[in-house]
Amino acid sequence: MLRPIRTLAAAAAALLLATACNSAATSGSGSGDGKTGSVRGVTDDSIKVGGIVSMTTASGYSKKDTDLGAKARFDRANAEGGVGGRKIEYLGAEDDGQDPAKNLAAARKLVQQDKVFAVAPMSSVTFSGADFLQKQKVPTFGWGTLPSFCGPTYIYGFGGCMVPSPGGTISQTWPEGLKDVMGGSKGKSVAILATDNDAGNFAIRTYSQSFTSAGYEVTYAKAAVPATSVPSDWSAYTKEILRSDAGKAPDAVVSVMQTPYNIGLFTAIKRTGYKGVITDPTDYDPGLLAKSATRKALDGVHVLLSFQPFEQDTAAMRQFKEDIRKAAGKDVPLNMHMVTGYMSADLFLAIAEKAGEDLTVASFQKAANGFSDTGTLVGDRAEPKGRTESFGCGALVQLKDGRYEVSSPFECYEPIPFK
Amino acid sequence: MSDLLGFVLSGLVSGALYALLATGLVLSYSASGLFNFAHGATAYLCALAFYELHSGFGWPAVPTALLLVCVVAPALGWGLDRLMFRKLARVGETAQIVATIGLLVALPALGLWVVELLEGAGAPVKPAENQFGLPGVGPSPATSWQLVDGVGVDSDQLITWVCTAVVAVGLWVLMRHTPLGLKLRAAVDNRTLVELRGMSADRLSSVAWMLSSALAGLAGVLATPLLGLSAHDFTLFLFVSATAAVLGRFASIPLAFAGGLGLGVLQNLVAGYASFADGITGFRTAVPFLILFAGLLFLTRRQRTAGTAASDAPPIDYLAGRSWARRWGPWAVAAVLLAVAFYTVTTPFWSGILAQGLAISLVFISFTVVTGLGAMVSLAQATFVTGAALVAGLLMSHGWPFAAAALAGTCAAALLGALVALPALRLGGRSLALATLALAFLADQVLFQMGWLRNGDTGWEIPRALFGPVDLNDDRAMGVAMLVLVTVAVAGLSALRGSPSGRAMLAVRSAPAAAMASGVSVVRTKLLLFTLSAGLAGFGGVMYASYNTRITATDFTAMTGLIWLAVVVAAGVRRPQFAVVAGLVFALVPHLVSDYVTESVHLPVILFGLAGLALANDPDGYCAALPVRLHRRRAAVFASPPHPVTGAPPQTPDRPSGSSSNSPRLRPGGAPRRAEVVTPALELRGVHAGYGGVHVLHGVDLAVHPGEILALLGPNGAGKSTTCKVAAGLLAPSAGAVHVGGRDATREGVVRRSRAGVVLAPEGRGIFPNLTIEENLALRLTGKDQRDAVYERFAGLAARRRLVAGSLSGGEQQMLALAPLLLRPPQVLIADEPSLGLAPRVVEEVFRLLAELREAGTALLLVEEKAAEVLGIADTVAYLAQGRVSWCGPRDQVQTDRLTEAYLGIAAPGTHRPAQAPEPQGPAPGPQASPTRGVVRP
Repeated sequence: MLRPIRTLAAAAAALLLATACNSAATSGSGSGDGKTGSVRGVTDDSIKVGGIVSMTTASGYSKKDTDLGAKARFDRANAEGGVGGRKIEYLGAEDDGQDPAKNLAAARKLVQQDKVFAVAPMSSVTFSGADFLQKQKVPTFGWGTLPSFCGPTYIYGFGGCMVPSPGGTISQTWPEGLKDVMGGSKGKSVAILATDNDAGNFAIRTYSQSFTSAGYEVTYAKAAVPATSVPSDWSAYTKEILRSDAGKAPDAVVSVMQTPYNIGLFTAIKRTGYKGVITDPTDYDPGLLAKSATRKALDGVHVLLSFQPFEQDTAAMRQFKEDIRKAAGKDVPLNMHMVTGYMSADLFLAIAEKAGEDLTVASFQKAANGFSDTGTLVGDRAEPKGRTESFGCGALVQLKDGRYEVSSPFECYEPIPFK
Repeated sequence: MSDLLGFVLSGLVSGALYALLATGLVLSYSASGLFNFAHGATAYLCALAFYELHSGFGWPAVPTALLLVCVVAPALGWGLDRLMFRKLARVGETAQIVATIGLLVALPALGLWVVELLEGAGAPVKPAENQFGLPGVGPSPATSWQLVDGVGVDSDQLITWVCTAVVAVGLWVLMRHTPLGLKLRAAVDNRTLVELRGMSADRLSSVAWMLSSALAGLAGVLATPLLGLSAHDFTLFLFVSATAAVLGRFASIPLAFAGGLGLGVLQNLVAGYASFADGITGFRTAVPFLILFAGLLFLTRRQRTAGTAASDAPPIDYLAGRSWARRWGPWAVAAVLLAVAFYTVTTPFWSGILAQGLAISLVFISFTVVTGLGAMVSLAQATFVTGAALVAGLLMSHGWPFAAAALAGTCAAALLGALVALPALRLGGRSLALATLALAFLADQVLFQMGWLRNGDTGWEIPRALFGPVDLNDDRAMGVAMLVLVTVAVAGLSALRGSPSGRAMLAVRSAPAAAMASGVSVVRTKLLLFTLSAGLAGFGGVMYASYNTRITATDFTAMTGLIWLAVVVAAGVRRPQFAVVAGLVFALVPHLVSDYVTESVHLPVILFGLAGLALANDPDGYCAALPVRLHRRRAAVFASPPHPVTGAPPQTPDRPSGSSSNSPRLRPGGAPRRAEVVTPALELRGVHAGYGGVHVLHGVDLAVHPGEILALLGPNGAGKSTTCKVAAGLLAPSAGAVHVGGRDATREGVVRRSRAGVVLAPEGRGIFPNLTIEENLALRLTGKDQRDAVYERFAGLAARRRLVAGSLSGGEQQMLALAPLLLRPPQVLIADEPSLGLAPRVVEEVFRLLAELREAGTALLLVEEKAAEVLGIADTVAYLAQGRVSWCGPRDQVQTDRLTEAYLGIAAPGTHRPAQAPEPQGPAPGPQASPTRGVVRP
């Protein structure tokens, strides 16, 4: 056994030596950016863009329509003559299946094989490709609900960075919007419930601070619900919540959980005869109205959203609906994933427009620095502010008799510092 | 108090679903001995089908549910049993576990793919994603009633309770009061004996799988409003209900059922009253897995072979003893080519993918330690990977250099491994697999939720290493570095395998008791295996994370670990180099498929899952199957001159497997030389037989006639029991023929043989210990009057007919085994040591019964070591020595010296051959040389 080991060691040493020479010689030639004449994914008349979206998953949760939203926005841009004389060549979205390994592989494929200029949209529950995209200097646009959207210079959230970090800020859209519904916050008590994991803990921490500083009294704030599968029985939680305000029910129940959890929780709470306000940040999906069970469970619930509600009649919203209809070829039920894709594409286009005809990664980044506009579907946008905080705009809609109605109109609020 | 009532009542809902799933698990486990990880996937498939048919196609709810539960799900179970499970029942535990893990991902993908296809064909299907609050069988939204203040039920809950109760009663009636149920329970008790009694265990296994699948289907349909369409949730639900199956010890349906109900209630109570654990993030989430782990640890019966699956014999290593170049040359060349390729042909994208594949290979190699060397299935490898990478990331964020952080991470993983190994000291096989899975979930939900360790969703940055001039930020350099590390790991493990420690590990794997007797510490070996494997996984994890340049706590979950295991075992887990192949395949194939084969994301998943089918045929994986198949083909070409094969495994020192069957043998034309002889009821002609290449019988000729007792005498190891097995059809002879009533029955299996009237009373007691006396009798005597006749004769049995047979004394058990035969005498009875362990008076009684059977015309082949007693009733006596009948003749010609010879194992002159090292199938002694033909009838 000695001889082979010696042979192996010698071979390994030789290999490493060769590697060393080679990597020293070739370092720095990774990205095609910055050299005259060739910018990755940009030709005289086209800009190549691709997306990464969780479409198929074992959990049954999909963001498939993000792709349609992006396509709708790019289609319109092309119909209007493109950006700086260049058409957008949208390759469609890679499916990462909510798998970190696939997410990174998708990012690598888009950059190294398809050679895209930018990634838009990127919407998933995982973003392990972030470091790679940042290092390769690929402008990336997506839903800023993951920490990777906060900080890195090439990664942009369409609504800004939505994960508060210590030293940063917390958006106040939820408690402020809820004031419209509850008639102010003075003397009002809220109970906040989240899932029993680190993310749930974090949500409890931020929203407790957020609601307290808006003047509410937070009487219950626990990350208590088992995180891996939806409980079949909610009585244990509802009992505790409904006694939390000194034995009485709180004025509002705030759920920071996903739709399947909310359906169970809200059904259980309403069964007890609870008359207060129920609210959550996830259930704005007209698709939920198609089923009587969800319609009933969510009836009366106020849902937070960080973009203009479909029910609000503005020019931007009309344009959005028309673009989606064109891209889908028919009337399709709208959902927030479409907005995600649409607005990711929109932010990219807006910055690219500002960068002008001489489009390189450097000129793009330069244009992004100091970029701002107003009156979009996500409110007033500004970079680089969006790298550290959300644009702070939102609305509340209430589900009533099978329809969503705006209960607190879309507005931008001043954020508070996160402690 | 109403709180408590409410918790209990609503806990019974999930409890009912747990009970249904657990019952199905127990049924399928007892049918084929395999724990079906895909049981939840079956439930999901039915939920999906129900949703599409009901909501999409608009079919009415109740008939659709009935169709799915009563027709579709059983058909699925039947099909899977025929295709996979039946074959899997005969392979090692690792392959079993992995094959069902493959199904776990393949079945949901199959369902979604079908939906995709239907959608493409324009069928009115609905998208299966983002579906919540789905309608179940009952009204939607569910109607609810308030029982007392604070305690309510809704229609979905009520339906679940009612259905579960109906199923419970139905199952009870089926299992306790129908012949089918009796047979099923008998098959659970003793599968071989069931076959000996002429019932097809395979068919019973199909029935059990159909029932099991139907129960899963029912659970799926009932859980649709609760779980929605999440395959992941269904699988988690299944793991929780495994706790209930553990409660039922994988054998008792009532216990599993009750356990399921109890589990639901317990879980609810903990959720309701666990405010003490508010400080521990993830505690409530982890409750079911805590229960599962505790249940496994305390309820699993201690097995003598704890921790190992000894049943899977290693495949033959055809390269053993060849030169280093022959064994390792191809691998070395492949490695060098790969390294060269990084700098010549591969594009940056493929370089990255290859580097990733090599990094994951390091993790995969860890499976070859714990599962390949140790035969223990660890489903917690992903935990070690995450743990090590998180620790390394944490330290690097504090400024530690890469190498030191990687080392610390590796040590942390090794420590975790030692902890996980603790249950392995007690548990084995599927229990250990489940226990490691429970620990993996616990780690995911509690350990990796700790903020200081996981750093939120951001995780830790793990920049790639810089070794002097080598900058691993270049994917090619990374790939070559990984290649070097992988080579070192493979070489190291191969060296370990050949070292004394490696031999100790292999010894513990194959026979822990013997290993212990030889002074090998089983405890230390297992701890070492787990620690080493975890350390290796951890090191691989740090490398893999550095490829990603970041680690977050959710990158590698317990479910990832399941998939990894499946990928590695599909390739082969016995050798570290196979794991490297698995790693590269894992990284490359999805991209190749999507580039060149299909756009559908479901198809590759289905294909991957179907690797389980391949495992049923090649349980050692495709890497190991390749040389074996090549060798077989080559062997087939050179088959004619039987030549010794180099490098056969040590257990079969000289004998090439299979070649003995090829030797043409002169047969005496089938006709007995004495023309007036009545056709024997059972006749063995020149039978050769053995086990896995070890030959036991070397040409046995025997004939038993109706109404005759032939006593087969011989020392231990002469081949008496083997002769019985061949006669009963339990063992197929490699050469020679078995005739029943003059008809060639050589190719008939045990079931058909038994139905033809050849009954074997096996060594020990031929009864079903967990069935009652009444049930034992009912298996053969269907009429009540027949059973009453037995009770009349055996008053001792009558008094205790409701007791389980296992509680009887040895003599009574033997009576119970023989009693039904008296009432319906078989053509042939083969009794293997019926007097074993019985008191002399009881032996007399047994022999009296046998004589009675002879009077009834049964031909008896009686195998005995107690020569003196058996001579009293035998008509003919045959001596078996070293696999041959050395003498056969009427009882009155028996001479004491012959008897002595027989017992000393000295065969008659002229037929003597050393049994231990026979030359490779020389022509067996001609029929003339044998003095045993032409048996003299008394």
